[in-house]
Amino acid sequence: MVSRVKGKELGTGHSGLFDWYLQRLSAVVLACLLPMALMLVWWVYDGGWSQLELLTWLDSFVVRVLHTLLILALMAHGYVGLKVIFEDYIHTGWRVLLLGLMLVAMVLFAVWWLALIWAWGG
Amino acid sequence: MAGNERPLSPRLSVYRWLPAMVASIAHRITGVLLLLFVPFYLWMLHAMTGSPEEFEQAILLLHSPLGRLSLWLVSVALTYHFCNGIRFLCLDAGWGESRGMMRTSARAVLTIAAGAGLFFGVILW
Repeated sequence: MVSRVKGKELGTGHSGLFDWYLQRLSAVVLACLLPMALMLVWWVYDGGWSQLELLTWLDSFVVRVLHTLLILALMAHGYVGLKVIFEDYIHTGWRVLLLGLMLVAMVLFAVWWLALIWAWGG
Repeated sequence: MAGNERPLSPRLSVYRWLPAMVASIAHRITGVLLLLFVPFYLWMLHAMTGSPEEFEQAILLLHSPLGRLSLWLVSVALTYHFCNGIRFLCLDAGWGESRGMMRTSARAVLTIAAGAGLFFGVILW
């Protein structure tokens, strides 16, 4: 099915295995890091941390590196996830355009986000 | 693909709804939802690491009805996507692939999500 439309789609007919693997690999990274991020949001929402305490934590090198890893995994996972969904529900050429737009938007957000992470204190 | 009349997957309308199907479609819905909130996460990080006034404003906005609804949606969606994601990884590893196990684990993650919805709802309101 995939190879039939080879050349028209993003990636060749045999690139599905890489997508599959990337989705699982990024899932494991996200499973390790995202719960921590959610708990942090709740902690700050609850008033458990002042801005200074939050900044001190975010400022440490280890947290910056983990945060970077989180963004990269999030982007990969989001892209592959959307690709799988689009491939299932959109059967016209629109999906190539839509996926391209999503990829550009996500790279934009990721770069903006990474700039934010590495900007402060630096 | 124009003029292609062959049935294409997935033909949702022809199947009877089963727990494993609900779990699968909910995984997609929560995944898209979590992705749609990316600008929200970025805005929050931007505001919270900005000036003290911006931090105060972000906290205030997070406590507004819309902010709390967002927090609720993201928390429930992430709890579900996390649990069902681990379920999917187990299935990939060949663990719990029997029909009965798949149905039971699907029911379990859906129940956890419902519990999370109740739990987060109670703390937020």
